[in-house]
Amino acid sequence: MILVLKPGASKEQVDHILERIDELGFKPHPIIGEFRTIIGVIGDDNAPGAETLNALPGIEQLLPILKPFKLASRDLQPADSVIQVGSTKIGGSHLGMIAGPCAVESFEILDEIAGKVKAAGANILRGGAFKPRTSPYSFQGLGEKGLQILRDIGTKHSMPVVTEVMDPRQVELVARYTDMMQVGARNMQNFDLLKEIGQARRPVLLKRGMSATVKDLLMSAEYILASGNSQVVLCERGVRSFEESTRNMLDLASVPNIKGQSHLPVIVDPSHATGRPDLIPAMARAAIAAGADGVHIEVHSCPEKALSDGPQALLPDQYAALMKDLRRFADVMQKTF
Amino acid sequence: MMNDSIVGTAALALWGWIMILVLSPDHTPAQFDHLLERLQELGFTPHISKGQHRTIVGAIGDENLPQAEEVFHCLPGVEQVLRIQKPYKLASREFHRADTVVEVGPVKIGGGHLAMIAGPCAVESLEVLDEIARTTKAGGANILRGGAFKPRTSPYSFQGLGEKGLQILKDVGAKYGMPVVTEVMDTRQIPLVCRYADMLQIGARNMQNFELLKEIGQTNKPVLLKRGMSATVKDLLMSAEYILAAGNKQVVLCERGVRSFEDSTRNMLDLAVVPNIKGQSHLPIIVDPSHATGRPDLIPAMALAGVAAGADGIHIEVHSCPEKALSDGPQALLPPQYASLMQSLRQVAAAVGKIWA
Repeated sequence: MILVLKPGASKEQVDHILERIDELGFKPHPIIGEFRTIIGVIGDDNAPGAETLNALPGIEQLLPILKPFKLASRDLQPADSVIQVGSTKIGGSHLGMIAGPCAVESFEILDEIAGKVKAAGANILRGGAFKPRTSPYSFQGLGEKGLQILRDIGTKHSMPVVTEVMDPRQVELVARYTDMMQVGARNMQNFDLLKEIGQARRPVLLKRGMSATVKDLLMSAEYILASGNSQVVLCERGVRSFEESTRNMLDLASVPNIKGQSHLPVIVDPSHATGRPDLIPAMARAAIAAGADGVHIEVHSCPEKALSDGPQALLPDQYAALMKDLRRFADVMQKTF
Repeated sequence: MMNDSIVGTAALALWGWIMILVLSPDHTPAQFDHLLERLQELGFTPHISKGQHRTIVGAIGDENLPQAEEVFHCLPGVEQVLRIQKPYKLASREFHRADTVVEVGPVKIGGGHLAMIAGPCAVESLEVLDEIARTTKAGGANILRGGAFKPRTSPYSFQGLGEKGLQILKDVGAKYGMPVVTEVMDTRQIPLVCRYADMLQIGARNMQNFELLKEIGQTNKPVLLKRGMSATVKDLLMSAEYILAAGNKQVVLCERGVRSFEDSTRNMLDLAVVPNIKGQSHLPIIVDPSHATGRPDLIPAMALAGVAAGADGIHIEVHSCPEKALSDGPQALLPPQYASLMQSLRQVAAAVGKIWA
């Protein structure tokens, strides 16, 4: 890291700083200029105590040089990670096409949706049993009953399933039913949940928080990786902005941005990002063109009767038409699903 | 361009405004009577619907909506005023169904035709621009860009060559058969810039410089209108409306990213505006991944995504020697990077059924 000293830093302050650097086991390389002194500090930026240097008198700025994440970084693993979810691969040249309703509502409805999205080319079925709804009065999910339905339908249609875990106490239960666990945007920095999920032997779909930077997202992934679970798929689902005509703002640049610095797969969720069925197909195409490892789309056979997020769901026919389109874009990008 | 303007005129004649006024639960009969009176004065026909708890009034009228809307907000007893129509007309698809195709010299933008705008941030010298124009043209660019008046964040940064830069841009464009686009920053520069440029750019910082919009609306040059750094889609379309309302129908919109909390990119590219705008407006929209990301490593992916999202073109900054560029060098692609991107873009363009010449 680099320490930039204040213009008027005294000799005593400089000596004290050098002493502390030494105590922490780092090597200082001071560069004394006419107006400014900067000190290059050789050692691990992430070592315990490193950031306490910032608190020393006479220091104006501490500039870290290394990335704050290790296990998630491409420096550690240059090759793309390929995550196996049941029979489906995500990453490398494999696209994860996740589809299904926002919430599991009943066996019949999920059965119908699963049959149709599977026929259209979806390779992972989604459905929420524990729902993080903005309003406490909205439908909160069927709980374990929903998990059972999801498991049964997934098996019936030979689709691996993904569902959200909201609480560390649910991890064990959900892991019994699902092939992949989703950490929702609102829980991206629920660190105890991340640590708990890091100990489960299930692939994880980690959604970007609503105002999380790319670095924040990778740090959350690092929590899961550091706890021993290396099967993490990231998901861009839009962030909060001033734009009021869409539910969120899809930050597609996060896809190449993440891929440049991490080996983890990234998929895109245009459903939550836009909240508008008229914008979802264009954003799904754009996501594949941007290099995403899959798209996550909410589909409902009767959006007007959906118990959660109906207005943003595609109809099965719309989904099928989109998937035909996406195959062409996947070809251009030399990817398959 | 506006080849169905007869349809457009008909649509304008039929254009009516509908406003919904939600009255407060405790409004008085006197307030209600006063409201009806004011509606009539303003030329609106009221449609009253009384519920058990609430009364709402639909107001239907033909004109003067913006003024009337403000009056409605002021009336005692009115709790909410809901506008039904969009606040812009000329820019809307209701007014003009078919995609507008804007012609910049021989280049078409919109309706299946892609604009591939490329060039350096600023015109620096004849030699440098000549080299960049030659290589981007060979790569497939069809419009040359270069700033002569530069809106730099710092007053100490290079501010552009002014008229000398315009002359260089025009000469180099003519040499390579490329129409040229350059930014106008001030109403006083418009006649000068019009003498040299084929298309006028309004930069993000001037998207709501309304005097500039009105003045440019009176020229006959195509306009490239960039989205302001914190402008909503509606704001952008309202700015386009200024230009259209002043008589200039040749407006191309440009998404170039907005401000956000994400600190690893210069801006946040909001690609959803492409289908969002196309759903409600007939105007072409292009994408500028250079300013949106500020990072050459992200530009190619965002350019591909831009075309895949349905954009009518891509605006990319290219420099043959970024480290010597006088402006925005770090975000420029090198000519070979640009050429290689253009090859990939042709494949994506084919997948969306679009072409460029």
